[in-house]
Amino acid sequence: METKFKNNTIYYHRNPTSGTSMEINSEAKWKRPNDVKVQIKALGICGSDVDHFKPMVIGHECAGIIKDIGSNVKSLAVGDRVALEPGISCQTCNFRKNGTYNLCRKMKFFGSPPTNGSLANQVVHPANLVFKLPDSMSLEEGAMCEPLSVGVHACRRAGVNPDTRVLIFGAGPIGLVTMLAARAFGAPRIVTADVDHYRLSIAKDLDADDTVQASTNIQDVGEEVLNIHKVMGESVDISFDCVGFDKTMSTALTATRAGGKVCLVGLGQSQMTIPLVAAAAREVDVIGIFRYRNTWPLCIELLRTGKIDVKPLITHRYKFTQEDVEKAFETSANGGNAIKVMFNL
Amino acid sequence: MGKGGKSDGSNVEEENMAAWLVAINTLKIQPFNLPPLGPHDVKVRMKAVGICGSDVHYLKTLRCADFIVKEPMVIGHECAGVIEEVGSEVKDLVAGDRVALEPGISCWRCTHCKQGRYNLCPDMKFFATPPVHGSLANQVVHPADLCFKLPDNVSLEEGAMCEPLSVGVHACRRADIGPETNVLVMGAGPIGLVTMLAARAFGAPRIVIVDVEDSRLSVAKELAADEIIKVSTNIQDVDEEVGLIQKAMGGGVDVSFDCAGFNKTMTTALTATRPGGKVCLVGMGHHEMTVPLTPAAAREVDVVGIFRYKNTWPLCLEFLRSGKIDVKPLITHRFGFSQKEVEEAFETSARGGNAIKVMFNL
Repeated sequence: METKFKNNTIYYHRNPTSGTSMEINSEAKWKRPNDVKVQIKALGICGSDVDHFKPMVIGHECAGIIKDIGSNVKSLAVGDRVALEPGISCQTCNFRKNGTYNLCRKMKFFGSPPTNGSLANQVVHPANLVFKLPDSMSLEEGAMCEPLSVGVHACRRAGVNPDTRVLIFGAGPIGLVTMLAARAFGAPRIVTADVDHYRLSIAKDLDADDTVQASTNIQDVGEEVLNIHKVMGESVDISFDCVGFDKTMSTALTATRAGGKVCLVGLGQSQMTIPLVAAAAREVDVIGIFRYRNTWPLCIELLRTGKIDVKPLITHRYKFTQEDVEKAFETSANGGNAIKVMFNL
Repeated sequence: MGKGGKSDGSNVEEENMAAWLVAINTLKIQPFNLPPLGPHDVKVRMKAVGICGSDVHYLKTLRCADFIVKEPMVIGHECAGVIEEVGSEVKDLVAGDRVALEPGISCWRCTHCKQGRYNLCPDMKFFATPPVHGSLANQVVHPADLCFKLPDNVSLEEGAMCEPLSVGVHACRRADIGPETNVLVMGAGPIGLVTMLAARAFGAPRIVIVDVEDSRLSVAKELAADEIIKVSTNIQDVDEEVGLIQKAMGGGVDVSFDCAGFNKTMTTALTATRPGGKVCLVGMGHHEMTVPLTPAAAREVDVVGIFRYKNTWPLCLEFLRSGKIDVKPLITHRFGFSQKEVEEAFETSARGGNAIKVMFNL
């Protein structure tokens, strides 16, 4: 028999392979008059959700329905369907003041220790980080705004536009949302590279112009660069490394044209051995990405108009029960043909 | 020096001599035939030529990155001189004008050239990058549009210094240096020093410079670095050095220039720079590097690459004219243009240490 959660149940993650739930009978606590209380309805699992070791609530890719609003909240109403931007930055640091709030050192981000996440029946969150969804958009698509935001932020920082031919390493969730965002930003040609044949076929279905099968072997860089150039037809203006290993970064740095950019999105390995001087001496710049900033309105608009369709990325769905939660994380951790695993609460 | 030839209009012309790289560690002063003067060219009598690290590298190894010296080649590219003759279409220059020369002739037709990033032109013909001859010679022929008239108060030696200074200026532009950017410079050799001078001219409020050598650090201090820090070549020392750098800077490090280009310097720069800041890789120590790139990228520290320069001579000359930049202290050694002195000059430059810029006076 399923254990259905009631009241304000939050999910505690004890270790990467199994978790436990805890029922709390009190409602989520109010913090400030500028907050709203949201009933979470859809939540996606991110690669980073499977990495924590201390007991805490996990999950951050979410959308839901407003249950209550603080006394100062004017722009939202009970019953509004909303997507949530996870990170609460401080109000006063220089990063916040100059708009790069994603870099705020005191950021409180759902599911990033020590801040609890949002795989819960209810959360309380600042109203300015909660974005109303158009009627035509589902709550699952609302939850997808979070990973999509990474792709959008990367495309902005890298300057993707109708002139920029794009190469993407990795056809996992992040590589795929980056590809979708690049198309929406007008990239005229997009080639995706991956080691996994199945993921490449998904990329092709999602409208990659072409794909390249790559290996994990660093010796293959030279050959793969030739292949990439052949498949791209012309030079590569911008590369996105959505994997983040020596091999992918070395290939990206070598394949990108002089004066182009390599955007490092993936967080694969910390130390990298890469032909950095060779790239810098061709003025290939490396752009770093950390989460996103000011992306929800654009994501919602791109989804509303159909410029981006994220629905094919949701491959697996689970309910909010003890058994399903455990299965869901296992499915996500296994990768393979699981792209985005989504909870429906 | 050139043999024969009085400048009295007689038929006997002075033979043009140049310093040729003929084999590893072997430079010979030999005749150098100039091409005919095209309508848009000028003929320049060289007066001041500086030695660059790349010139030394070619001398020692006959190669630099992917460029290989396969035949004897005239060396040298940091130069200034006096115009002797102008082509038929040249309007803005006349014989007698003192000019600084920008070494690289790009194709002006490719996409890079058309977009203004002509320094990236794949068909670039650059003094002393094989197979193109350099300019350590009595005379060269060069496009007039790459010759820039010196203001009256700027010497020919300062004119020659525009070339290395251009690297610093280009780096400061690409890295967006201004009155709000605190700057860290790794390396106090010629390139680190011109980068520091350029950063100050662009308005950088605070500049910290690091090096392994005391003599170079003291030159940096004389050239108005706000703080100098002695560092090691040991990768284990990174964390400690980052602490010292951040303390010396006071506020965060907004932009770091790695003018050395080694694992240690790049690791230090990537770690010391604040989130959202930039690391500008100017130096070309090792082609492949092992560095903590991901932690830096995950703080949105960008890496900006530098290859030579573009459209920098007018700005360099203005900085020198106004005194915003003084490059004269960088010229530490001077030599004449004879076989013996050419050899000695290169040895001095290769030694490094207290030799910063070695200059030929022709």
